Amino acid sequence: MASISLRNACLDYPLYGAYDFSLKRRVLGRLIREQDEMRTIRAVDNVSIEAAAGARIGLAGPNGSGKSTLLRLIAGVYPASSGDVEISGSVMPLLGLNAGVNLDFVAEDNIALLLRISGRKPTRAIIDDIWAFTELEERMQRLPLRMFSSGMLMRVLFATATAFPADILLLDEWLSVVDENFSAKAETRLLKMVSQAAIVIIASHDQPLLRRTCNRIITLDHGRIASTALVEQPAAHPFELREKRA
Amino acid sequence: MSPVSDSTRRPSVLHIFKVYYPDLFGGTLTVIRDICAKDAFSSAVLVCSKAAERRDIVVNDVPVERVRSFGNILSLPAAPTFPWRLWRKIPKHDLLALHAPFPLADLVFAFGFGRGGPLVVHWHADIVTHAGLRWFIEPLMRRTLRRAEAIIVSDKVLIDSSPLLLEFSDKCHVVGFGIDLAKYDWPRLAPEHVNDRGRLVLACGRLVPYKGLDVLIRAAAGHDFEVWIVGDGVERERLEELIAELGVTDRVRLLGSVPDSERIKLMCIADVFAMPSVTNAETFGLVQLEAMAAGRPIVNTALDTAVPHVARHGLEAITVPPGDAEKLGEAIQTLIRDPERRRRMGLAARTRAATKYSAAGFRDGIEQVYRQALAARAASCATDAAATTGWIDTVRIAGALAWSDMRHRYVRSLLGPFWMSLQMAIVVAVLGSVIGQMSNGGVLSRLPMLALSMTAWTFLNSVVLDATTALQNSGSLIRDRALPPVIFLLQCTFRQALFALHNACVPLLLWLVLTRHETGGAVAALPGLALFVACTFALSLVLGALATRFRDLKPIIESTLMLAFLASPVIWSSDMINHRSTVMQLNPLTHLFAVWREPLSGGHIDTVSIVYVLSALALLTLASILTLTHLRKAAFWI
Repeated sequence: MASISLRNACLDYPLYGAYDFSLKRRVLGRLIREQDEMRTIRAVDNVSIEAAAGARIGLAGPNGSGKSTLLRLIAGVYPASSGDVEISGSVMPLLGLNAGVNLDFVAEDNIALLLRISGRKPTRAIIDDIWAFTELEERMQRLPLRMFSSGMLMRVLFATATAFPADILLLDEWLSVVDENFSAKAETRLLKMVSQAAIVIIASHDQPLLRRTCNRIITLDHGRIASTALVEQPAAHPFELREKRA
Repeated sequence: MSPVSDSTRRPSVLHIFKVYYPDLFGGTLTVIRDICAKDAFSSAVLVCSKAAERRDIVVNDVPVERVRSFGNILSLPAAPTFPWRLWRKIPKHDLLALHAPFPLADLVFAFGFGRGGPLVVHWHADIVTHAGLRWFIEPLMRRTLRRAEAIIVSDKVLIDSSPLLLEFSDKCHVVGFGIDLAKYDWPRLAPEHVNDRGRLVLACGRLVPYKGLDVLIRAAAGHDFEVWIVGDGVERERLEELIAELGVTDRVRLLGSVPDSERIKLMCIADVFAMPSVTNAETFGLVQLEAMAAGRPIVNTALDTAVPHVARHGLEAITVPPGDAEKLGEAIQTLIRDPERRRRMGLAARTRAATKYSAAGFRDGIEQVYRQALAARAASCATDAAATTGWIDTVRIAGALAWSDMRHRYVRSLLGPFWMSLQMAIVVAVLGSVIGQMSNGGVLSRLPMLALSMTAWTFLNSVVLDATTALQNSGSLIRDRALPPVIFLLQCTFRQALFALHNACVPLLLWLVLTRHETGGAVAALPGLALFVACTFALSLVLGALATRFRDLKPIIESTLMLAFLASPVIWSSDMINHRSTVMQLNPLTHLFAVWREPLSGGHIDTVSIVYVLSALALLTLASILTLTHLRKAAFWI
């Protein structure tokens, strides 16, 4: 069963480039006993989160409060500097849609490659399904992505990224698709994906959105958990809410 | 639109075993056949067979694929293609049912192939016959069991007596085999029928050592009952000799294989059913259950398996120590002498078969375990989606990326697929003509080797240079999709290997045109070439990580590689240069090329080169391992 367990997890982010790290500096520094300066930033500080299946966690907080870094820590991108991180279940990090896209390749190849990257075998049927979702013309599958407008590109990437359900879904900002018509469809699909996943963690500045989709909101500040709020899920179905809003 | 399989279709189950009808008959096969007869699943069977003809057959409406086997080695079919076929079949089925022990299939599961559908292991027996191989087989079996969703055994005692199963006792389900009583109602004979003067003892089983049929024959020698043995197998000759030797040819008969209906008839007319098995390879004794269904009293042996639990001492059977001919004979004689006791035990046996081991109960039990396994896998549709799983996925993704690089290499190119090869051809032509000016004659015969060396050098050079920027170029995939960084270093080697294969057409053409075609050296060069590739990969791993962490390394690496190239005999052949040049002798490239170039050109490798390359590889391996442990931090370096 999917679960996430962070116990006193800390992440020190080393700052390369910001300081002179060179050999010369190190040797000289050692010689003249220079004080060890601060060369890391504590991006995640003593965070403990327990989440079992059914958890819908929203991460809120100002820019630079460590939301994305925390998501990456859970995704296994960064190793924790101290504390325990235990994740079971397949993690689907959707932290950026553009990752792994090559604009010179035709759309079809890009979709196949992105599916491969997430460990799926791209078959004709799956690619056609994804394409059907984008509502783009059939023949555009064979055009390089460079030719696509940004809106069309987003459609393709969104459709590919959300084609398969995952145990643990990590979202950095609600994946928004610009196009008016498509955005409603995209949101339905994302909500469906959220409802299928065992655990969802969304980092966002959009408080109403978090309140709508999550049952727990964790506010971060300077890498620490400032507050945890439980959200009473309104009886109304999220879909209806969306329609009310529209 | 999530392509999750629809639930209306019957789940398909692939049964994996070493042998199936019609090559053999026996308890395990009966079990598989009974499970296949279950309508809730669509079944298929994958087995080995010595029969050359007909790979795909249909047995009882169940499709059976038989993989060619070349005989048995250590009681295992020697079917080299079996793991391959299994791997190909796995994705086509919803559930895998492995009938253990079958180490050939363990091989596939243990190495992480076929992580597709859920796996249920039917644990028929432990490895008893070739216990000496345990040290090798057991880790494989453990890995298979770890991967399995459920393990089915026929009796609880099997779990307790097997240390391996005890480790996974939470996964074990006890489903006793079942028997269809109706088949054993032989019209002319009621089950409770007992022949007052009968002295016919029946035994059924393949004629293999663990069945202990020799013990039964010895027992017969000391008494005056008749023994009929149904079954065939490798022991036949030895048993025939034994029968002749003991002078019981008139009372002991080997009937060979008989059809099911005949066997049932024999069971109904027999007076006592004997199961003299001598080792724990006999885990349940389905055939004693059949005899019980026919209402016969049993004489079985006190094994550590389910055998004495199916037919219990004093109730349905007399249990004697395994291998003890005297006690076995006495027990049978006791029953022969006492028709009333036979009748009582026979009826008790039939009742037990009907209540405890019903066919319906067995099928329902199996179906329940299968459904649970399917549900468990569906609930955590885990591993297949995760990008951060085993190294197999890493290799697979790296391969996919490299293949995509290869396919898109010529996007927007003018000359198409072969412009790189063309470039290689031009380089070789120019270099060849220059070298021709410097040395005397024989330029043409040297060209193929020159071209091959250039291809290999290009491979090494590009792999290492690509690796120095690979992690930065794939930063978004590492940070946003959480892919392990090692994928992208592996991708460099894969991609350049594909390119090198592509470029290899130049030396190949030159070789075909310019030389006498001697292929002897090619095979001898393969180990050296493997070393070359391994060193290249390890080097790219270490330097790729280092260059990402310390950005000033990239230019240093570039110039060092160029220097190493110039100070090595890559473009020069050995007779053109002074071999004693110290710089050249110290240059690792010299030796890295020597280990495969020398055997290819018919010479033999200097021991110094081998030692040099092997120690370099050892060092690099060590450095690679260190790198891999630190590679998780690569996300910080990008």
